[in-house]
Amino acid sequence: MNKIIARKRWFFLFSLLVTIPGLFFIIATPLSGGAIGLKFSVDYTGGTVWEFKLEQPADALVVRDVVAAAGHPEVQVTEAGSGFLIMRTKPLDLQSGSESDPSQPAGAELAAIRAAIESEVGPIAEAGSLSTVGPVISQDLTQQAILLIALGSIGIVLWMTYRFRNLRFGLAALVALLHDVIVTVGFFAVAGTLFGVEIDALFITAMLTIIGFSVHDTIVVFDRVRENLARYAGAPFADIVNHSIVQTLGRSFNTTATVLITLLSLLVFAGGSIRTFVLALFVGILSGTYSSIFNASPLLVWWDERVTARKSSPSARRTA
Amino acid sequence: MRKYTPYMILAIGLLALAIDLLPNLKLPDSRATDGTRPIETKLGLDLRGGLRVEYQVQPVDGVIATAADVATIRDIIERRVNSTGVAEPLVQTQGSDRIIVELPGVSDPDAIRALLGTTGRLDFIPLPAETYGSINVATGEPTEGVKPVPGQGALLDDPTLKPLFSGDQISTSSVSTDDTGQRVVSFSLKSEGADLFSTYTSENIGSYFAIALDGTIVSAPYIQSAITGGEGQISGGSGGGFALEEATSLVTILKFGSLPFPIAEIGVTEVKATLGAAFLGQALFAGAVGILLVFLFMIMHYRLAGLVASGALIFYMLIVLALFRLIPVTLTLAGIAGFVLSIGMAVDANILIFERTKEELRIGKGIIPAVEAGFSRAWNSILDSNVSSLITAFILFYFGSSTIKGFALVLIIGVLCSMFTAISLTRVMLRAVIHQPRFSSPYLYGVGRGDLDSEAAALKPAGAQHE
Repeated sequence: MNKIIARKRWFFLFSLLVTIPGLFFIIATPLSGGAIGLKFSVDYTGGTVWEFKLEQPADALVVRDVVAAAGHPEVQVTEAGSGFLIMRTKPLDLQSGSESDPSQPAGAELAAIRAAIESEVGPIAEAGSLSTVGPVISQDLTQQAILLIALGSIGIVLWMTYRFRNLRFGLAALVALLHDVIVTVGFFAVAGTLFGVEIDALFITAMLTIIGFSVHDTIVVFDRVRENLARYAGAPFADIVNHSIVQTLGRSFNTTATVLITLLSLLVFAGGSIRTFVLALFVGILSGTYSSIFNASPLLVWWDERVTARKSSPSARRTA
Repeated sequence: MRKYTPYMILAIGLLALAIDLLPNLKLPDSRATDGTRPIETKLGLDLRGGLRVEYQVQPVDGVIATAADVATIRDIIERRVNSTGVAEPLVQTQGSDRIIVELPGVSDPDAIRALLGTTGRLDFIPLPAETYGSINVATGEPTEGVKPVPGQGALLDDPTLKPLFSGDQISTSSVSTDDTGQRVVSFSLKSEGADLFSTYTSENIGSYFAIALDGTIVSAPYIQSAITGGEGQISGGSGGGFALEEATSLVTILKFGSLPFPIAEIGVTEVKATLGAAFLGQALFAGAVGILLVFLFMIMHYRLAGLVASGALIFYMLIVLALFRLIPVTLTLAGIAGFVLSIGMAVDANILIFERTKEELRIGKGIIPAVEAGFSRAWNSILDSNVSSLITAFILFYFGSSTIKGFALVLIIGVLCSMFTAISLTRVMLRAVIHQPRFSSPYLYGVGRGDLDSEAAALKPAGAQHE
């Protein structure tokens, strides 16, 4: 417990072991043309998603072939549980100005697909949600994601620097929150590759919430460091930071535990479109707790050691 | 001031409870038709089912719509929506060129989309006899032109044709039947249009004439006689007359005018009501389980203090729900997740305070000074961390799209309320409790019986001076 700072290299190493494979999968996404890495939902790619249930269950592949033959070769059909099938195609039925034929009435293309399924596979028992996203919205969303995360990070670094009157605290918090962003996006890049888990519009919201939470944890430790710096003036910086981490450990674990409890409950009992969102929060908040205890504060010490080493004799580097 | 705080808190709690539970409460609202608006929990489309369409206003010949144009388009679309009788429609602008229409519980989404998305520009276009031919009214003999007369549904793609006048010259219109019993749309023209129509028809008897909606032919009859009274009929073209829906849509469009710029659908979402209700039930159940587990965790960890914090959490939920109903905040699935998450954040302030109190108890302070020190020392951390949450939430609210905005608003309200309940309310409640002698054992605040002095000694860093 009292050797967190002394073992900081091990904790940095662990973070690298987690983030590097994640980064690999994230970078592989554009390089492999989407075959490996993040799987984007229609929110980002544009397209139509339609959920429906057949009276007689049929194989997704059979339905796929029927819809493909009806003029939509790009279609994907997957099973969604409780008998529902999910069909994904290019954007359907957008009126005037989209790729679709503006002279057709609304819903004509989907009606044609329905008719094809009903005549070739069997009657449709129930139609669930239907969502079409055109190319304009999907382009907006990608730009929005980058803008929001950049602004969020800058805002937090400025606030931290202002409150702690020291850029080091802001930058250490920035490193910790970038760590959490990479861990979470990396997690979904791996999950997308292995299980086809898609990220949707709410994923941006999850990332921003994770950033906020990660900084929550970091601030609590840093606040204690600031307080202890005044109280134990003259003590080695590394000892003060270590002591501050230990003092706030109970709070860090308990807060994380309560948040994870609520998220776990949502993950198990709430369905629908927020599953991915809640899972992202779960991973990110776990990572946020780790990074603020084992990365952000040790980084402060590491930086301090660097500065001290440069100023005085080389032997000063060994004090930690 | 401190003396009155408990009464203020009690008053706020009772007010929140009344807003949460009493039905049929109303707020003044100048925009509503009867000047009031009921206080109710608004659910988003993903929880109640319905249709959501996002439109982008399209430029015409390189001219981009101004904010005033977009507002006009919004008004026209809203009037078209209201004419369909859909309850509680929401039509709003977003950004510089977006219009979002949300219609809960719509049964025929395709027909409504067709009505809303139409630009609605009705043109009366003369088709010159030399190009399109004519009919001898006396004998019924047709004279063939160079081009065939366009049929119903055809796109009018001859740039040389210019409309005589447009739909803005129509003063009234209605659905009726003609002599043969077919359903038609009758109209009467304003004086300017009536004059133009009268002059043109009397000079060009036997020529064809096209009525086009957004460039698509609705009908193309020939002029049988001069139309001088400014009254006319639009028939549905190819023999069968209008379907009732088509005729009603056309009348609606003519009544509220055409859009100054065309709009294009860029996203459509349709959620079945049954699916939405299922999601709502699941989310509420999940939230309830999560909250109960948090209570359990807090009480196990901080005992009496945890119980007080749980009471403050219930108070927190009452206030937040009351604000949701007052503002009003439209609750979506993501919003409920945000609310449940905000409970986790609200508890964080209490955990900070209680952990601090435990530290003070461990170094041997009495209950009363330990609790007071816990509150004052935790304040910096609570303020700093909540401000950082607010920074991210405001960025989401300001730059995000509408779903993200909803989540951010929930988070902002949650953080602000939690500052009040987790600090002021818990403090008042704890102060009342700690002055009772039977509640003075550190055990009741989560400190183990054995670790009063040992931990304090073990935690001192080497070389640090005791205060």
